[in-house]
Amino acid sequence: MTDLSPPATPGRYSWSRIKEHPSLVIGGGMVLLIVLMAVFAPVIAPHDPLAQNITARTIPPVWYENGSWEHILGTDQLGRDYLSRLIYGARVSLFIGFAAVSIAGVIGTVLGLLGGYFGGRIDSFVTFVTTIRLSLPVILVALAVVAVFGGSITIVVIVLGLLKWDRFAVVIRATTAQIARLDYIRSAQAAGASTFYILTREVLPNLTPQLIVIATIEIASAILMEAALSFLGLGVQPPTPSWGLMISEAKAYMFFSFWLIAIPGLALATLVFAINMAGDGLRDLISPDRRG
Amino acid sequence: MLIYLSKRLGLSVLVALFASILAFSLLRLQGNAASALAGEGARPEDIALIIQTYGLDRPLVVQYLSWLGDVLQGDFGTSYFFRSPVADLILAKVGNTVILALASLSIALCLAIPLGVLAAVYSGTWIDRICVLISLMGQALPSFFLALCLIMVFAIKLRWLPASGDASWRHFVLPALTLGYYITPPFMRLVRAGMIDALGNDYVRTARAKGLPGYRVVTKHALRNALVPVVGLVAVQLGLLIGGSVVIESIFALDGLGYLAYQSIGYRDFPVLQAVVLLLAVVYVVLVLLADLVNAWIDPRLRVS
Amino acid sequence: MTLLTVDKLSVDFGRGATALHAVRDLSFCVAEGETLCIVGESGCGKSMTSLAIMDLLPRIARRSVAGMTMGETDLTRPGGIRAVRGNQMAMIFQEPMTALNPAFPIGDQMTEAYIHHSGATPAAARARAIEMLNEVGIASPEKRLGQYPHQLSGGLRQRVMIAMALMTSPKLLIADEPTTALDVTIQAQILRLLRDLQKRLGIAIIFITHDLGLVSRIADRVVVMYAGTRVEEGNVAEIFDNPRHPYTRALIDCIPQPGKTERGAMLGTIPGVVPAMIGDVRGCAFRTRCALATAGCEGVIPTHGTGSHQWVCLHETTLQEGTT
Repeated sequence: MTDLSPPATPGRYSWSRIKEHPSLVIGGGMVLLIVLMAVFAPVIAPHDPLAQNITARTIPPVWYENGSWEHILGTDQLGRDYLSRLIYGARVSLFIGFAAVSIAGVIGTVLGLLGGYFGGRIDSFVTFVTTIRLSLPVILVALAVVAVFGGSITIVVIVLGLLKWDRFAVVIRATTAQIARLDYIRSAQAAGASTFYILTREVLPNLTPQLIVIATIEIASAILMEAALSFLGLGVQPPTPSWGLMISEAKAYMFFSFWLIAIPGLALATLVFAINMAGDGLRDLISPDRRG
Repeated sequence: MLIYLSKRLGLSVLVALFASILAFSLLRLQGNAASALAGEGARPEDIALIIQTYGLDRPLVVQYLSWLGDVLQGDFGTSYFFRSPVADLILAKVGNTVILALASLSIALCLAIPLGVLAAVYSGTWIDRICVLISLMGQALPSFFLALCLIMVFAIKLRWLPASGDASWRHFVLPALTLGYYITPPFMRLVRAGMIDALGNDYVRTARAKGLPGYRVVTKHALRNALVPVVGLVAVQLGLLIGGSVVIESIFALDGLGYLAYQSIGYRDFPVLQAVVLLLAVVYVVLVLLADLVNAWIDPRLRVS
Repeated sequence: MTLLTVDKLSVDFGRGATALHAVRDLSFCVAEGETLCIVGESGCGKSMTSLAIMDLLPRIARRSVAGMTMGETDLTRPGGIRAVRGNQMAMIFQEPMTALNPAFPIGDQMTEAYIHHSGATPAAARARAIEMLNEVGIASPEKRLGQYPHQLSGGLRQRVMIAMALMTSPKLLIADEPTTALDVTIQAQILRLLRDLQKRLGIAIIFITHDLGLVSRIADRVVVMYAGTRVEEGNVAEIFDNPRHPYTRALIDCIPQPGKTERGAMLGTIPGVVPAMIGDVRGCAFRTRCALATAGCEGVIPTHGTGSHQWVCLHETTLQEGTT
């Protein structure tokens, strides 16, 4: 019921308001750091992430006895610098997360807007399509599609984009249905505004808070899914550094070099944790009445 | 009620049907099924033979309809790879997956309900914050990473539990723990939100005004109503668990439906894959339907409509 | 004999300069078998007072009280309120629609606390519930016990609430606006029921309402609250025939009185709203809306009167002249 946020007042999302939500500041700050790291990967990374060095294989990170500052996080089974691969891996995760969710967001928002605004048969159709989508096992379908079309970043983005729109559709449909009954939409209709105008200028801007919150949740989930697909060998293909793929490649060396798994694993966990935390903070900022 | 039920049933059947069409056409979109089956370096006449045997040269619609007709008669076809009826394969493996799903669900509920209630009763305090932190961390840990960590600790270092297989109940402990922890956060959040909501209700105040002890107010009056949405989530998560255990079953080499699906993807074993996707879609719609019925039982207000 | 004594009760939300004082230094007592009405506008703290007595305040509220006893029991101790609540002291609420749990049948909700307090068997509790439903005038009570709240009308639900409250034979019933959410005809029935029950069972009632019209029909004594504090207290005749505080007078002017109010004449209204009592509060809270307000109203306000009739106002004499 409280999904509708009160009308925005000046300074509603100002820094002083944001400061009151520590989870948003901490989570958002962490996400920003990782994004910067991904953007400036060529500058920051100490080595070429793809350069193999057979003589320097599985060197442990610097805090181990035989580690060295040359390779701060050590090297992998092919002698590639692990820190550089980790930094470039952030690019893959973030790009796939953002790109897939952009596609999903457009599909889900359009479906949700149409169903929620028009109701009736269109709404039944939207609900039906959403139910079908929900009945399909995401991981399995994604795996199958990647298997048929071959693994690449593009395929993963498209598959996840086509599969992850359900939450957008459900939430946007419900919220649009609420907004469509409000007086200012009625008055816009009465004034003869076109449906397209009403949907894009009157309804959509009011959905922005919800969209942002769902997008953060879905980006985190898409990043985890990419990692899982790549881990199973049906996602991003070697030698591209993807965190899921790095864990998969290191699996065989798990017993002696567990850090090969722990480092990308913790990197994934940190990124997803930061995004979810920022998402929680955003939700609190947007609808303070929902806080417990 | 009967009309409502039959309407819902009809819709469920339709959903499953469309899901199967989607899965079917998705897998056939790329035409080289036959060459994939024959393997690399197959002679053209072998490929032609495969195409003829499996009827892959017929139009997609015809292929689908003939498959659907067989399915309706209980014939899910024959696995390309295992060379045995798909129905037998699935029946042999579904047990493991159901055990795993139920075990993980029990673990998740045993964790999520107490933690969620605790977080709600003490909402805003440090107890609440710790519970929320646990849930955030659970959401952030990739399930396969958690699985490898558990294997490292309990199977390799401590040697308490086996790392792979499905011979005894001990083989199910690590996979169930992994999946259970993985699905705990959404339940915990829902229980917490539902409890905060329920605890603010007038009837909870009435129960306290009647002089009932605090634990009775929380466990009987508030929890009962907070659990209504949890039932729906159980249905959804159980469906996801049965379909989503692909990753975990593969890591632990637990021979269930997910592992079978993973293998059949690798072998382009379309009859198996189609059957599994159809089965999972049916399981999902049935579970959602069941959840609605259970909700009607929990919340008497819903019984009338 | 005095049943309930409340001494200097305060309820605050928050602390320091932004603290909201919902109830300020409120003292009153209730004698056995009498009806005390606490009356005031919405937001004057009367509901908070009732919740504070029952120790049911929301967690963000802070209660402080110099003393509060029910008979021999000290209600400020956790053990004290636990022994009394729902047993000797029961409560009914404003919203019968939401005050009953939708998930359980009426019978279950009526008997659970009775079983807890008295240790009765379920069968005995059921018999007691049927007896109580009869008492509040509900037909075919056996059938009702198995029904769910949503199957009953608002008036019936409030009767069930009353029956439920009476299960343990309480000495005191706190009724927080029990008729506000009901239709006027049902209102009258519930009111009659309460009065009737009180006569037969000899229970004391704290009746909380914003409706002075109801007060005249049910009260023995009246406490008039304004902005969290008591402005006047007296028995019903004193309050209605000789109101001494300007706020009480204004309230009474707002009720149409058959025979007294002239046809076509304007009913009284009180300009403005109850001010929120935030931060450091001093002086008379009513001065912002009071026609008699002077600079002195910002200072210490004396309490006048002796015996049962007391009022808190600077202008003792002015008002006496104004009252005819």
